[in-house]
Amino acid sequence: MSKEATESIDSKSLWYPPGGLLIWSLVLMELFTFGVALIAFMVSSRNDPEAFHASRLLLNPTFGVINTIFLLTSGYFMASSVDQFKRGDHPRARRFLAITMLGGVLFLALKAVEYHEKIQHGLDLRYDTFFTYYWLLTSFHVMHVLVGLVILTYLFVRLKNPDKPIKTEDYEAGGVFWHMCDLIWLILFPVIYLLV
Amino acid sequence: MKNIITLGVLLLLTAAAFSANTMQDNRYLTLTVLGLGAVKLFLVAFQFMELKKAHLFWKTALTIVVGLFLIISCIIIH
Repeated sequence: MSKEATESIDSKSLWYPPGGLLIWSLVLMELFTFGVALIAFMVSSRNDPEAFHASRLLLNPTFGVINTIFLLTSGYFMASSVDQFKRGDHPRARRFLAITMLGGVLFLALKAVEYHEKIQHGLDLRYDTFFTYYWLLTSFHVMHVLVGLVILTYLFVRLKNPDKPIKTEDYEAGGVFWHMCDLIWLILFPVIYLLV
Repeated sequence: MKNIITLGVLLLLTAAAFSANTMQDNRYLTLTVLGLGAVKLFLVAFQFMELKKAHLFWKTALTIVVGLFLIISCIIIH
């Protein structure tokens, strides 16, 4: 993508936020949906505080913190990749994108370890209300990360092919989707793992 | 350069939220943890997602969604 083409997008316009109108509408809807689910979680927690507190103690917040570090670092490399893409340095953008995907894979690997541990201890979806919420909310987020990885893989492959250049807005949209996974996790993690 | 500073701040805030988890006073814990989460969310949105370059509408929309979530959360918890 040439510098001229990059500069032609006016992000200050109401109709062209960075990444596009559709992806930002999706970000707001997703945050709203997860927000409503987390509010329902907090209402249930308020109704049965002892049971929720006891169940929360069965979670390991260290897993959550390490996963937060993976996602945030991955987000940093995604932002750097978009930046390099806009400058026209596609090989560098591709390298940063690979590191971004590695962050996502590490997140999923640690989540798999955490899920395996929970299942081994019998803490499945039907264990209690807390764990029903835990499984539904975190697995819904994991699905977003998986979809994000598919999008990033597509961009990674496309970046290698100079015959079919990617539009800046499409590349940005892929980045915004990936960052959306960060945003969701940043509200999910404290509410589920840290609040008493 | 700004992105690496943002990442440093985000990691520090994550460590702070994790440390705050050991606080004895639950009332302040809730406010601290939720507040730190919101600050991190805005840092990612404005810096990494380049929301700072977007039209005021998108900045306001995100602030309203997150702000409503925080207000309702605080009302429920207290």
